[in-house]
Amino acid sequence: LDIFGSFALLLALLAAVYAFAAGIAGIVTRRTILTKSARNAGLAVFGLVTLAVASLEYFFFTDNFTMAYVAEHSNRALPLFYKFAALWSGQEGSLLFWSWLLSIYAFSALFLNRKKHPELMPYVGVVLAGVQTFFLTLNNFVATPFTVLGSANSAGVFHLARVAEGNGLNPLLQYPEMVIHPPMLYLGYTGFTIPFAFALAALLGRYPGEKWIHITRRWTMVAWCFQSIGILLGAHWAYAVLGWGGYWSWDPVENASLLPWITGTAFLHSVMMQEKRGMMKVWNVWLVFTTFMLSILGTLLTRSGVISSVHAFAQSGIGSWFVSFLAIVLVVCFWAWWMNRDYLRSDNQLDSLVSRESSFLFNNLVLLAACFAVLWGTLFPVLSEWFTRSKISVGPPFFNKVNVPIALFLLLLTGVGPLLAWRKTSFDALRRNFAWPLSGGVVAGTIAFIFGFREIYALICLVLSVFVTLTIFAEFYRGARVIANRDRTNILSAVGDLTMRNTRRYGGYVVHFGMVLVFIGIAGSAFNKDVQMDMSPGQSLAIGPYTILCQNFDQVANDNYQSERATLEVFRNGHSEMMLYPQRRLYLASQVTETMVAVQSSAIRDLYVVYAGRNPDTGKPVIHAYLNPLVKWIWFGGVVVVLGTGLAMLPNRRTAIVLKAVKEKSWGDAVPATAPPVRRAESHD
Amino acid sequence: MIRRLPLALLLVAIFLGGAARAQETPRAKALGQKLMCVCGCNQILTACNHVGCQYSHKMLQEMDQLVARNDSDDLILQAFVQEYGPTVLSEPPTKGFNWAAWVVPIVAPLIAMFLVWQVVRRWRTRAQLAPAGPGVSPELLARAQHEADKDLDE
Repeated sequence: LDIFGSFALLLALLAAVYAFAAGIAGIVTRRTILTKSARNAGLAVFGLVTLAVASLEYFFFTDNFTMAYVAEHSNRALPLFYKFAALWSGQEGSLLFWSWLLSIYAFSALFLNRKKHPELMPYVGVVLAGVQTFFLTLNNFVATPFTVLGSANSAGVFHLARVAEGNGLNPLLQYPEMVIHPPMLYLGYTGFTIPFAFALAALLGRYPGEKWIHITRRWTMVAWCFQSIGILLGAHWAYAVLGWGGYWSWDPVENASLLPWITGTAFLHSVMMQEKRGMMKVWNVWLVFTTFMLSILGTLLTRSGVISSVHAFAQSGIGSWFVSFLAIVLVVCFWAWWMNRDYLRSDNQLDSLVSRESSFLFNNLVLLAACFAVLWGTLFPVLSEWFTRSKISVGPPFFNKVNVPIALFLLLLTGVGPLLAWRKTSFDALRRNFAWPLSGGVVAGTIAFIFGFREIYALICLVLSVFVTLTIFAEFYRGARVIANRDRTNILSAVGDLTMRNTRRYGGYVVHFGMVLVFIGIAGSAFNKDVQMDMSPGQSLAIGPYTILCQNFDQVANDNYQSERATLEVFRNGHSEMMLYPQRRLYLASQVTETMVAVQSSAIRDLYVVYAGRNPDTGKPVIHAYLNPLVKWIWFGGVVVVLGTGLAMLPNRRTAIVLKAVKEKSWGDAVPATAPPVRRAESHD
Repeated sequence: MIRRLPLALLLVAIFLGGAARAQETPRAKALGQKLMCVCGCNQILTACNHVGCQYSHKMLQEMDQLVARNDSDDLILQAFVQEYGPTVLSEPPTKGFNWAAWVVPIVAPLIAMFLVWQVVRRWRTRAQLAPAGPGVSPELLARAQHEADKDLDE
């Protein structure tokens, strides 16, 4: 089966190379048979990579320790779903997984559009095949997951070897979210390839009209949604597993996942300028290019070890391949843009600085500033070492100082932007739209200040969050009130109707509201508390309104790990409220010890307790308790963001009078003359 | 005996790993934010709780001693830099080339904003020079503006 997997992978590479070459030949010679053949080869890549992935998973499930990758990342006692997730726990497997997800996307894009856009799709196929060729080359020749253990004897005959037990999965990855976090993040990273392919294809083929930008936007939303889920699950994993009491440490790998997300966010906003006004075409094309390149850079940072990170689970000298690929992509993008720059000329000009267009411009500028600041801080240790020959660190305090003001400004724009009209906003409209939300924000801030709220950033965040929330609710209310009056219906059903009439706009507002919740949750970190204490049974520690009583320490065991567990009773106002069981586990296969955090979560605060080991001086167990306010708002806000994105991707529901009439006319006699003239129907935006 | 081996290993691992000590004084906590743990975890000193971290416990003990001696913040940080190198600082120092770490994220967006401003000005100039469309009565224009403000569908 190892030969089967390797062979499938090699065939996939050949199919991708063929799709690339035949696609170019088809475009140049304008022979349809070649472009169709190239497309079929592109579709075949998916099947072949799927076979390779399935065979590797089979090795994991059957504990085949002749396979080096399986022996390195699994063991017999590993639960089945972790064996499944072990596929992406190392360099070779995660690159194969990347290729597989990319092939799924490529298959979907090619298959769904097989009868559409005949001028555009051959170019799309070529770009996708080019990217797939790069990754499949890595899979076949640089980081193959199908290496078998063994050695050749003096006669040159190869003998298979086998270890009795594997090294086991990295304990940090043995957590349920790790089964879903990397796939979501990878779906985000790889998903940005599709908008990139469409944008580059439209530019290369000088595809007329704005259809390509609609397609690009939809695919970007899909990738952006997955990237958002991946980032949030990653933050939750860090919070629940790493045991340092936080969820975001500005680690290079975390930053790498944030970069394409930020530029993707910028694109999803600025694309509206192109769709509505035919403006910012160059900007949009470069945003899509940059987003793709940043997702490749993210992989480079994760995989190459160029920057040290606790999250970089698989490092090697693969960086030069990614740097070369990035350089090629940059040259191709620049060449395509330069040769076709007249194709991207704006149709309209900016009429007023106080308009929706200018707010999008600002929004994009601020998002790119945030992206640049994160990238700069992430790469600065490398730059500094290069220039000064001395290493420095760029840690969380730097990122917080630089990015928190930028993030707050973005939050402000989240509220301001939707209140401005396209082209020009009158002073009256400004006053009417801003008065109540702004007053609400100021009142909330004043009340918080009176009650002793003194953390300046948290205070600003509160004022802006209330302001943005009120603007969003006002937008829903204004629209729904008109519908409710017109249709004589209640306001809630009018909100539903309004939302479904323009899912993109109101889905966007839901996403904004989710982001507000996330911001409030993050602002809560200004009020974190923590206490650490050496504890024996019978001793207690106090934190906030809680008293934690240590009852005892015991051992728990299964085939995969041995665990020392603390049993803690938590009291509030003298009443027993809950039991918590933080653990410290020794994973038997890897002989690595990890913490298992105990968290009691509520909407107000999390009580987060870590069994931090034993004090080397006293030998006593050490309990570290954190009180983290509002953390749950981040996870809930993330869910709202994802739901909002899903809503924005739904097609609009319109009153399809015209469509209905056209249909009835075309059906002729089949339609009775008494058919009602107005019907609701589903139609795509 | 063999069956008890993993348990013994667990206890050894837990003892060897040790636990980072918490800094209870506000000053020690604030200073801990300015230092990185040098174990390679990429976390600030007071946040590092990696099992088996050979540095954080020792570093926090050193800091407690220096704080107890009532050394100034600068002196304490300098002592750590002397012992562990400049990577121990959680922020780039504001001198020499490293000054750029702080300046560039501020200057670059300002330059970008200036460039965008220039582009917007050019757009607006072009818009003003563009030939006017068909004549529209002020009443119609005012009504259209009013309708546009109330427009629900963008």
